Amino acid sequence: MLQDFITAHKSTFSDHTELRAQVNTSQRVVLLAGNMAANAQSSEGGVSARVYRGGLWGFASGAEYSPDSVKNVVSAATENAVFMDNQVKKGDPPLPSLGSGSVGLKTPVFDPVPQSYLIDYAKTLDDIITRKYNNLASRTVVANFLGMEKRLVVSDGVDSHLFQPRSSILVFLTAENNEGVPIELFESFSMFGKFDELYPDPKLLEEKLDELYKTLMDQRDAVYARAGVSKCILHPDLAGMLAHEAVGHTVEADLVLGGSVAGYNLDKQVASELVTMVDYAHTYDGKAAPLPVYVDDEGTPAEDAMLIEKGVLRGFMHNRDSANHFGVKPQGNARAFEFSDEPLIRMRNTAILPGKDKLDDLIASVDDGYFLVKTGNGQADSTGEFMFSVNVAYEIKKGKLGKAVRETTISGVAFDMLKTVDMVSDDMSWNISGFCGKKQAMTTGMGGPALRCDINIGGR
Amino acid sequence: MNNITDIASYALEELKKAGADKASCSTAKARKDEFNVEANKFTLLRTLFDDSLSLKALVGGRKGVLVVNKLDKDSIDEAVAGCIELAKSATPDDAEDIAPLISNQNFDQTIGGMDKAKLFTRSSEYLEQVKDEFPKIILEGFVSEFNGSESAYVNSNGVCFESGTENYGYTTMFTAKDGDKSSSFNYTGALMANLDGPFMNADPLHRQQLEESVKSLDTRMVDGKFTGEIIVTPTCPDLWQALNDCFLGDRALIEGTSQWKDALDTVVADSRLTIRTVPLSPDIVGGQRYTSDGFISEDMDIIKDGVLKSFMIGLYAANKTGKPRAKNTASNFEISPGDVSVADMIKDVSRGILLNRFSGGSPSSSGEISGVAKNSFLIENGKVTDAISETMVSFNVLDALKNITAISKERNKNGYNILPWVGFNGITISGK
Repeated sequence: MLQDFITAHKSTFSDHTELRAQVNTSQRVVLLAGNMAANAQSSEGGVSARVYRGGLWGFASGAEYSPDSVKNVVSAATENAVFMDNQVKKGDPPLPSLGSGSVGLKTPVFDPVPQSYLIDYAKTLDDIITRKYNNLASRTVVANFLGMEKRLVVSDGVDSHLFQPRSSILVFLTAENNEGVPIELFESFSMFGKFDELYPDPKLLEEKLDELYKTLMDQRDAVYARAGVSKCILHPDLAGMLAHEAVGHTVEADLVLGGSVAGYNLDKQVASELVTMVDYAHTYDGKAAPLPVYVDDEGTPAEDAMLIEKGVLRGFMHNRDSANHFGVKPQGNARAFEFSDEPLIRMRNTAILPGKDKLDDLIASVDDGYFLVKTGNGQADSTGEFMFSVNVAYEIKKGKLGKAVRETTISGVAFDMLKTVDMVSDDMSWNISGFCGKKQAMTTGMGGPALRCDINIGGR
Repeated sequence: MNNITDIASYALEELKKAGADKASCSTAKARKDEFNVEANKFTLLRTLFDDSLSLKALVGGRKGVLVVNKLDKDSIDEAVAGCIELAKSATPDDAEDIAPLISNQNFDQTIGGMDKAKLFTRSSEYLEQVKDEFPKIILEGFVSEFNGSESAYVNSNGVCFESGTENYGYTTMFTAKDGDKSSSFNYTGALMANLDGPFMNADPLHRQQLEESVKSLDTRMVDGKFTGEIIVTPTCPDLWQALNDCFLGDRALIEGTSQWKDALDTVVADSRLTIRTVPLSPDIVGGQRYTSDGFISEDMDIIKDGVLKSFMIGLYAANKTGKPRAKNTASNFEISPGDVSVADMIKDVSRGILLNRFSGGSPSSSGEISGVAKNSFLIENGKVTDAISETMVSFNVLDALKNITAISKERNKNGYNILPWVGFNGITISGK
């Protein structure tokens, strides 16, 4: 556990100061076609300080973490704040007070499991794959752990001690299609917690791997999608990506200030009345959210942020600066990935809320369209225009699933597309694998139900 | 121990004493200073000091890699023990190795340290230029920076490299805004060995990008679907990087899923296409001088006159597949110029797209790729006409390389890449 060398410095702060000690610990095992291509660990940490003066920030960080280095980092950050204040002369008043308090560890800090556990797990999973599944051209198994521990003291706001552990497994299967061309699908398993407790036995993943293999075999006969707009059912996994990429980024207040289309749409209808979207802080449906955040890296206590309520855009996600600009209360979205990173406005657990329909009924309601199941990646724009790759999809003909569809891309403008949502399933699927990229990486959670909507598909 | 080569050598000796048959150690001390701008206003000055120690140990053909960012003796000793433990837990693999001793060198790409005041002045100048020349542009995020590092690599075969690198750079992300209209965001960046010129000039296409963003406040959707031509501009380097990711890199070759796995020295592209990675080029700033495997970097041909000449694989993948190791592992692409002007390339297009940015994933193993044309313009009857939105382009990358229509004689240099405009036909372009 990180020693506390920072609290003692709190009494020395002159300007508003955030002082953070952090260590990120990672483990990684990669089996490429059974070959151990990676067997690595890392532990990278240090201390950073951010100082506010006259509306501008100075930041400094160092890898050394000791009482002396903390003092030096605060001093360097203060120098940077003074430099900016002297050069830019913005002259803003102090930020509104957040009060004070402290939040201790909600998840106890633990040491990573021995690397041999990840290796044995990955090898057993690889053995299962080679034993059970025929006609594979290749396979990759990845076992990952990331633990992020932070101690924060602030001159105004809530001090905190946070630990966020994430354990993940990725499995890629590759087969040749009927034209002899390789096609690849993957499944990711990612959860908050300790690797051996979350993944006690590789056999427990067999059912999911069976599904992945069956889907891959279906893809061997896949057909091209029909290019253009079609009636589609988005699988819950895809709806979560939509919530994050297509809507979530456009309602981050720094992007709103940068010209995002969401800025013109506050309190306007941007989606069907069936769509409600929330960025959850730490609790969903009475249980811990997939990646709980209790206090952000500016010392703001984390609260849920209502983004879209029954189709109406209700708010943005903020840091203290942007909340002050818009005259609202910050809700704890300022987060930093590494010790040397400054807090940026980031999503936490962003989800479209489930509705009342059944997924089977959504599919049965489509006469001629597509069931879009898995996405590999996605990007969005300040205009709300988004793009997702779709690597698993099926035709829907007269309410029944038909042929598999070749990998394709879907696109649209979020606030247009969401207005076409006319059915929402009662499912809820969360995903915390992968990283969101925005100057820094960041772990985020995304979730959603299945949606029926009109969407533009790339194809031939 | 303050000297990073001494630190690396100490760690190497400790790895050998602890049982490593072969070992390597990289150390670095780095400093970064950056000015941050959001929504056209300065927000932050950030200074980072970081250290890095990367250990690799082979014990009976078993590999362990451990990375920490502490360089004190206790941390090194702990890391050494951890690295050996990691190696002992691994599966043995004869393909694991380290570089042989060829020649030891020191590399100096330093520029005499940072001039913070001048970096601020250049940053302010850029903000003023954008404000004066492009009042409808909002800089969502602009970061100007100085990066300095000293690094060392040693291994148990006697290889020893030292390197010092310093440079300036910027990244800028911007949107045009007018009333309730916003353009798509766009971005660029450049690396510089000095601050002699304005940031605005560091990427020669940047002014044009800003102009195009303003023009993109009003867009047109393509009607229906057609097969046409795209001219990929130098601001869209993602397609070239995708070749590495999908067909030339370690994973695709080790798994054997690359469509080019048996294509070395065969024709894979139009004979006018030559692609190189050139970290040593004088037009590249801060280019790689040695690889993480411990080899001195050399410029290399990936595709020469349409023929595949090299994969982009490291030592492990080379040993595993029996294919030649890449001479560098950098991503500084240079594409040889063609013999036509960009203006003439556009004149020859009856219907197509000037593709300035591509929002899409990587190609599938089959080469199929589709994505949205961003910050892009329609070309009709030989003229660039309207900015487009919600327009998708779909094609097979491997087929497209054989369907090149032209390569421009003009090239753009931004410190990262040296790229011309490249035209491809047979592309599926679809609107709503």
